Amino acid sequence: MPLQPTSLRNLHLLLRGTPRFVQNQFHTQWQIQSRSQSTASSVNPIEVSHFNALASSWWDPHGSSRLLHLMNPLRHDFIRSCHASQPTPPGSNLRFLDIGCGGGIFAESAARLPSTASVTAVDPSPEVLAVAKAHARRDPALQGKLTYLNTSIEGLPRPRGPDEQYDVLSLFEVIEHITHPADFLDACAQFVKPGGWIVMSTIARTWTSWLTTKVVAEDVVGIVPKGTHDWEKYINEEELRGYFLRERGWNSPRVMGVVYVPGLGWTRVKGSEKVGNYFFGIRKDE
Amino acid sequence: MALFVRPSALRSSLPRDLIAACTISLNSRHFSVLNRPPPNYPGHVPLTFIERAGLAVGSAVISLANPYRGDLIAALGEATATPYFIYRLRDAMLASPTGRRILRDRPRITSQTLSMTYLRSLPPNTVGRVYADWLDREGVSPDTRESVKYIDDEECAYVMQRYRECHDFFHALTGLPVMVEGEVALKAFEFANTLLPMTGLSMFAVTRLKPAERKRFFTIYGPWAIRNGLGAQEVINVYWEEQLERDVEDLRAELGIEKPVDLRDIRKRERARKKAEKEAKERSGDSLGVN
Amino acid sequence: MKIPSTSLSTRQLGGYVCSGCTRQLRRQRRSYATSTVNPDLYDVVCVGGGPAGLSLLAALRSQPATANLKIALVESQRLDATRNFQLPPTQFSNRCSSLTPSSVRFLEQVGAWQHVDQKRVQSYEEMQVWDGVTGARIEFDWPAEKRGQTIAYMNENLNLTSGLLKRIDELGGVEVLDGQKVEDIALGSETEDFDLSSWPVVSLSGGRKLAARLLVGADGANSPVRAFAGIGSRGWDYERHGVVATLQMEGPGWGGESKIAYQRFLPTGPVAMLPLPGDYSTLVWSTTPALAAHLKTLSPKDFIAMVNAAFRLSPVDLAYMHTQSDGQADELAWRSQHTNFDQHRIPQQVIGVQEGSIASFPLKLRHADTYIGERVALVGDAAHTIHPLAGQGLNQGQGDVESLANTIQYAVTHGQDIGVRMSLEPYNAERYAANNMLLGVVDKLHKLYAVESGPIVPLRSIGLRAVNALGPVKQFFMDQAAGTGVKIL
Repeated sequence: MPLQPTSLRNLHLLLRGTPRFVQNQFHTQWQIQSRSQSTASSVNPIEVSHFNALASSWWDPHGSSRLLHLMNPLRHDFIRSCHASQPTPPGSNLRFLDIGCGGGIFAESAARLPSTASVTAVDPSPEVLAVAKAHARRDPALQGKLTYLNTSIEGLPRPRGPDEQYDVLSLFEVIEHITHPADFLDACAQFVKPGGWIVMSTIARTWTSWLTTKVVAEDVVGIVPKGTHDWEKYINEEELRGYFLRERGWNSPRVMGVVYVPGLGWTRVKGSEKVGNYFFGIRKDE
Repeated sequence: MALFVRPSALRSSLPRDLIAACTISLNSRHFSVLNRPPPNYPGHVPLTFIERAGLAVGSAVISLANPYRGDLIAALGEATATPYFIYRLRDAMLASPTGRRILRDRPRITSQTLSMTYLRSLPPNTVGRVYADWLDREGVSPDTRESVKYIDDEECAYVMQRYRECHDFFHALTGLPVMVEGEVALKAFEFANTLLPMTGLSMFAVTRLKPAERKRFFTIYGPWAIRNGLGAQEVINVYWEEQLERDVEDLRAELGIEKPVDLRDIRKRERARKKAEKEAKERSGDSLGVN
Repeated sequence: MKIPSTSLSTRQLGGYVCSGCTRQLRRQRRSYATSTVNPDLYDVVCVGGGPAGLSLLAALRSQPATANLKIALVESQRLDATRNFQLPPTQFSNRCSSLTPSSVRFLEQVGAWQHVDQKRVQSYEEMQVWDGVTGARIEFDWPAEKRGQTIAYMNENLNLTSGLLKRIDELGGVEVLDGQKVEDIALGSETEDFDLSSWPVVSLSGGRKLAARLLVGADGANSPVRAFAGIGSRGWDYERHGVVATLQMEGPGWGGESKIAYQRFLPTGPVAMLPLPGDYSTLVWSTTPALAAHLKTLSPKDFIAMVNAAFRLSPVDLAYMHTQSDGQADELAWRSQHTNFDQHRIPQQVIGVQEGSIASFPLKLRHADTYIGERVALVGDAAHTIHPLAGQGLNQGQGDVESLANTIQYAVTHGQDIGVRMSLEPYNAERYAANNMLLGVVDKLHKLYAVESGPIVPLRSIGLRAVNALGPVKQFFMDQAAGTGVKIL
């Protein structure tokens, strides 16, 4: 499918990634932030308004979210591969919590799976969530299985026990929009059942993608407004792995690099997690 | 060559048949003089490609030198009719209900099948009577025709035979005499109508005509032959045996043939004029001498 | 990328349309006392019970991942006659199709081929194709190491649909609404609970209303589903009719057990004789509407003579015989003596024609602009109509169905709404270009051989002879015809 030049989100998805000049701030960042626990939202207000603007075209298969739609089946493949890696794969009646659900592309699809008991999907943008809710009404099969909440993770009531926790907590194309990812992940972790998974997708910071996004797209060609890419927020896979595995009760990290090939769609490419889009999954200790 | 443009034939089937014929010839048996295959019909002489080419060239050269070698003209006709032209003529017959009947019945025109007594007894305006009159005037008989030997396909051999036997009817219908000048004019007509190459090759005989005859050919008979040969229906599809009692003008009109100026009359008048001129010249010479 | 269906057990997959929703709708119907009947919700509503539609339903029901979809079949004819299709072994329906090994493999996979009466199916291992104008010939027989391999299977369409229906009955779970016409297709409406404004609602003559998550148009060349979706269909009429008949031959064929299909390209169109079990063959003669009408007026004796002539005599003879009101048998007897043909490279003599089996239908080329719309997918003749000269019509439909069933399975296992365009895109991408190429090739073949004169005629003969002489090229064409070769697209 041709990439529409106006499709900021597509470019965003494809081209994100920057080198980090400064020594990785991530560790220091979460160390600092974790000390100053606050109830403030993890969400950047500028990002919220950016996605409000995208709301109307969210479900247009040829609109700016096309690449997200195309990527969605891979999310399920990835989750399935996570579950298959368990010594005893889970059965049905899975509970999903989808953070930053946007228009509900993943949330709807997760709710439709017969193995799903329920999906709770949250997003801080009211416009986007209104789109998600309206769209879900188009499929009677979703009724009773899918709940949308206009909130950030901080706004959700803390689970009081494993019954209120989730089998799968998903963060698709979310972490890179978070100003303080360490705090955010700390908050998320509480919602995961023992033996449950956090799955996410994001993009690595690399010199090549820094060149294509910051220099070519923004400065040379100018098809992306300056400042769209806040590449300093992007996180590499080993940083995520490091965060979770540092005495925090997580195991079995999994990663899958994917590349968008025009004409073929999203394709799994081994090793590409180092340079571009990738999925990351990690399991909470039982 | 302008004669080649025969609109009806070209439009409908020329290249198709050409290819069909080539295919047939390509598929036909190949043999050498040492293992000549048995004949396909009585009198058939199977020829190799080289023999056929030799026959065509040899018969063409000799018959040009001697236009009265009817046997060689016949051989030339057969040698050049394949691979394409005789098939085209056969298909022209197959496309016409009458042509098909002729192919089915395979009638022969000989003094046995056509009684001259009967023909002479017909009214003067009938096809049969005109034919008989023409034979009598020219002093020829329908039995002087060579039989076909060198065409491999027996049905096509019959088509060639039929063409040859109908030739005198064409003479009778057009009134053209058997002398070289008349033959050339009729061959031109036949070429435009049947596309048989021998009839076209016969045009070389024009070079052998006297200047006055040649002038007549180019001004009168040549243009007539082309116009009528192209415009008329395929004359091979006339079932002559069934037309004998028909009014000859009627048949000409149906076929689209106009009778050309009588060649013998022209020649007679021409001779008379020349004679008169000569006599006048002699007279004037005499008078001069007298003076 | 596909997840093997084995990773999901049937039990694990609940109904796609939840039973609660249906209950909800019923309650709603009671609460709103309006005259309009609320539609019943289905995951798949298939309009059209022909080979394509039935194969799709059999495929969906036989795959574990899609077995729990709520499915309805709408067919305007009663299906009992098809279900109970039975004829004595000396009679055959005149509508037969060639099934490629790849179609048969698919039908075996969905468990339908086992229900097709194999005694009425005839495979063939060789094809003889030649140019009626020039005689140039191509002989499709396998090289020694593949000898005996099937090129295609001839089968009555009714034998196939009957087998498919038996398989669907065996699997159960398809609501069959036969003998019911589609009276209207319109988009649903928005209610308090749901927004069905993107769901097609099919109103049946029996009064039922079915709302479809995915509406499948398997409803033939004049597809009402396609019209509803606003999908255009382009193409042209060939000004040709296909004359079909069931023929009795003088024997089982020159190959004995190993059967041969014959096709001769005449200037009016190709004439094909395809083997059926025993001494029978089926005829497909594409010709001008006038000549087709003429053929249908002939006595059985003269019709048989015309069919024998079509494989033997020259186009000149055929053209003449088409002008005769009778007497073709006599004409054939005479012309056969003067026409050269190798009788072992043409079909055996036809000696009988089954009463009432001579029929004709117009030939068209049509191609829908797309096979998919929002909550709409087209398969088979609703998507494309092809010239029958390559025997690919039914096989293209089977190819569509296999692709669509896989697409639906992928969508179900990945939580996609199977009706939305996004989910259906792979189906369109996989089939459109491939079908378009085949339609184009077959169309060009028809046009190539409809030419009677001009430089094309010798060139096509050279081409045919060259292909015949080149083993690998011929092998490629045979593999394509058998559907076993490398996919060109």
